[in-house]
Amino acid sequence: MKSPRFVKLVLLLSLPLVLAAILLIVTGSGGVVTAGHVDLPPHGIVCSENPSATFTLNTRTGAISLPDGNRVYMWGFSEGGDPFQHPSPTLCVTEGDTVTIVVNNSLSHDISLIFPGQENVLANGVPSEPVFDAGTLELLSLAPVAEANGGSMTYSFVASEPGTYLYESGTDPGIQVNMGLFGGLIVRPSAHPDWAYNEVVTETATVTYTTQFDPDEEFLLIFSEIDPMLHMAVEQDLPYNMNNYTPRYWNINGRSFPDTIAPNGAEWLPDQPYGSLIHIYPFNDDPAAGEAYHPYPALIRYLSVGSDIYPHHPHGNHGRIIARDGNVLIDADDQDLSYERFTITLNPGQTTDELFVWTDVENWHPVDNPIPVTIPQLQNLTFGTFYSGSPYLGNVDILPVGHQALNACGEYYHISHNHALQQITAWGVVLSGHITFTRIDPPLPNDCP
Amino acid sequence: MRKENPTEQLSRRKLLKLGAGLVGAAAAGTVLPRALLRPSKVKAALSADAITPMGVYRHFAASDGWAYLPGENLPYHPDNLAPDGLTTYIFGFRDVTSLDPLPDGRDLIFQQKMKCQLTSPMFWLDEWRGTDFESVTDFTLKLTNLGLQVRPDLIDAHTLHFHGFRNAIPIFDGEPHSSVGVPISRDLTYFYRARDPGTYMYHCHFEETEHVHMGMVGGVFVRPRQNFSTGGFAVPPARLGDGGPDAPAMGYVYNDGDGSTAYDREFVLVMNEVWTLAHWCDSHVQLPEWSDYNPDIYLMNGRVYPDTIAPNGGYVDGGGELYLWEPDPATGDMVHTERPELRYQPLSSLITCNAGDRVLVRFINLGYVAQSMRLTGIKMRVVGRDATLLRGRDGKDQTYLTDSLHIGAGQSVDAIVDVPDDITEFTKLLLFSRNLAHLSNPGSPGLGGPMTEFHIHPAGTLGPQVAANDWGVVL
Repeated sequence: MKSPRFVKLVLLLSLPLVLAAILLIVTGSGGVVTAGHVDLPPHGIVCSENPSATFTLNTRTGAISLPDGNRVYMWGFSEGGDPFQHPSPTLCVTEGDTVTIVVNNSLSHDISLIFPGQENVLANGVPSEPVFDAGTLELLSLAPVAEANGGSMTYSFVASEPGTYLYESGTDPGIQVNMGLFGGLIVRPSAHPDWAYNEVVTETATVTYTTQFDPDEEFLLIFSEIDPMLHMAVEQDLPYNMNNYTPRYWNINGRSFPDTIAPNGAEWLPDQPYGSLIHIYPFNDDPAAGEAYHPYPALIRYLSVGSDIYPHHPHGNHGRIIARDGNVLIDADDQDLSYERFTITLNPGQTTDELFVWTDVENWHPVDNPIPVTIPQLQNLTFGTFYSGSPYLGNVDILPVGHQALNACGEYYHISHNHALQQITAWGVVLSGHITFTRIDPPLPNDCP
Repeated sequence: MRKENPTEQLSRRKLLKLGAGLVGAAAAGTVLPRALLRPSKVKAALSADAITPMGVYRHFAASDGWAYLPGENLPYHPDNLAPDGLTTYIFGFRDVTSLDPLPDGRDLIFQQKMKCQLTSPMFWLDEWRGTDFESVTDFTLKLTNLGLQVRPDLIDAHTLHFHGFRNAIPIFDGEPHSSVGVPISRDLTYFYRARDPGTYMYHCHFEETEHVHMGMVGGVFVRPRQNFSTGGFAVPPARLGDGGPDAPAMGYVYNDGDGSTAYDREFVLVMNEVWTLAHWCDSHVQLPEWSDYNPDIYLMNGRVYPDTIAPNGGYVDGGGELYLWEPDPATGDMVHTERPELRYQPLSSLITCNAGDRVLVRFINLGYVAQSMRLTGIKMRVVGRDATLLRGRDGKDQTYLTDSLHIGAGQSVDAIVDVPDDITEFTKLLLFSRNLAHLSNPGSPGLGGPMTEFHIHPAGTLGPQVAANDWGVVL
């Protein structure tokens, strides 16, 4: 509606925060992190893992910051003595592990956890099954509960199938999942930790396709939504009519754009530790390319805990969808059911694994191979905060004095966003919500900080 | 209204005239109207101080305008500020390529402010097939921002986002944060070397929640190199390539290698929707709360049934010949001789074919709501999604037959309807959104919304199409 596009956000976020974001995004440094999250990598998946695959998840209450300046009351799980975080920790285990999750509940409501996609889940050693009232037969919970005000429950299962999974509340889930009782669960193949799945597609005797990815380019994005009225009702212990459910915020990893592209553990988002920036290098399968050799794709694990179908559109290239709900897309005869899409359907409660590459197909170069049209001078254009001033990868050019450019070294940025565009807003703030960016750095060696 | 076409086959000249072929051959001849001639220029002709179109070229203008939609939802619809006969404030694109070379072309183009089109003009590219052919496959598109007549307070830029273009670089992606946008009265030329065939879409990406909803949405298509004998495939070239008038297919959707995506007729259905409150807000200097999004009119090619089956718009010359979707060269304005109120919504959705035809339907959803599209009577074979042939890397066939297909926001679907050749009577089928709540026009009785008819004529009734969505002349 107005130009420049960031005017509302700048006003709301205040300049110091924006400047801090600029510094951290550009330099890629992780900044100070919350207790329990020391030494987070600036981008990419953040795993909670340990050799025994045993996790103690303690409930916490807290609040998250949203781009319109609102803070919303949340529930969450944290490991051990860690403070509140949203979303709950990403648990990473290995195929074949016996996974044990101890839930300690200090909330004033019964809670439970379900593990969609896992088989033979035990709760305190007996099969985890729906709980009904013995007298009225009313369904009380999808799984045995950790009782309110100090109860515990131990869930365990053998992680038999590699893949991307959710864990989420099974008690009053319409309320409790929206409140934040959810997180990601990654099961890695035991023989190939840098493959997403074990299966191989065979095209010919010499051409096969695995799900191997670049371990430095593994990303997990949990899509969620928030009705702030629901959260206010829970905070004030008031009744909430689910028929009035109206989401106003749409988050990726518990943040709404532009916070989504801030680094993991950004200090100005102390309770929202997980960033969503997809930071990759151009595809190059020539072993003679030296440092620029970059033959494996990024792996992006999409999870959705919302109530709506999100059509997610990464700019820049198609992604290859290799699995859904932890099931690799290969049929019983080992034939290929994977597919490429430019808009990925993220269904409620589902997970989707995507391999993503970007290739510098045309190799435009300012001297050797200039783009065949003339770009007008900047006074005849609007230009964005991520623009380097040059159309060429790895080049920067002059931008006007006073323009706050976030581009460090001629890297490319492509938006990656929900195409139900009413959901890239935040209760009146446009250009927010379900948006993150893909950052494509020039091939190594480069001058990027 | 259409002049009987003496040549029954699809001629390259005719395609060029109608702006649909985009094969880039230098065309000349006294019968071509001046407006539609455009020389091909090659890279060597570029000068440093001018944006010189090269290869295949289109010039689009972005502005606001008004459209006609039936029904009533007061106070928002019809909009009390709308000109006579029109109802709904929109943003959109116009194809002004034919105005470009006129002596008064620049004036005519700027006079198109507040005369944009809903949904936006379609364009086609041919896939790259080697450096020898770049002069006829490299594609440039100049976008001019005419400003918003109804909202002089807004200084919005516009862009063109080629949605789905593989390995895009930001400068030609149209997302204004990662690159640049086009301010009012300025222009920018986008360059595309299309290497991947399929059904794509484009839209403005500036203030996208608002600009896309206001109607800046259209289809763009990359035709496969398999259409050409130089494409390197062991299938016959197509009429849209260099296969000549007797080629067995009008075209192929993908480089399938086996002819499985061959088609005889091509139709494009662009789906989006109108939240009349939001459109009214824009004309009345208000802001909607987007999380309350509640569209009340669902569209197909910018119209609702039964207007969806009204003819294509376009300029009709003194001899009665229709220039599909083209403006009047004297005024630059759009025209529709049968339904003047639809002059800014020139795209017909009526599907017409002969028995035995293979009919390609390219579905595009640039609304914000998923659709389930149903065809009655004959199943559709879904052969492509999101500009991708449904085939595994090992050759596994992933195509499927269906009568209802899911298409989410920002997605495209290619479906081929193999019409039986034993239909000897004129037959009508229906193609519509199975979300029945969408099939009404506000306040109006009867069915409306995103629905069209699928007309099957006995074999040999219709001549070939001159462009997608063309009905074909009755022979």
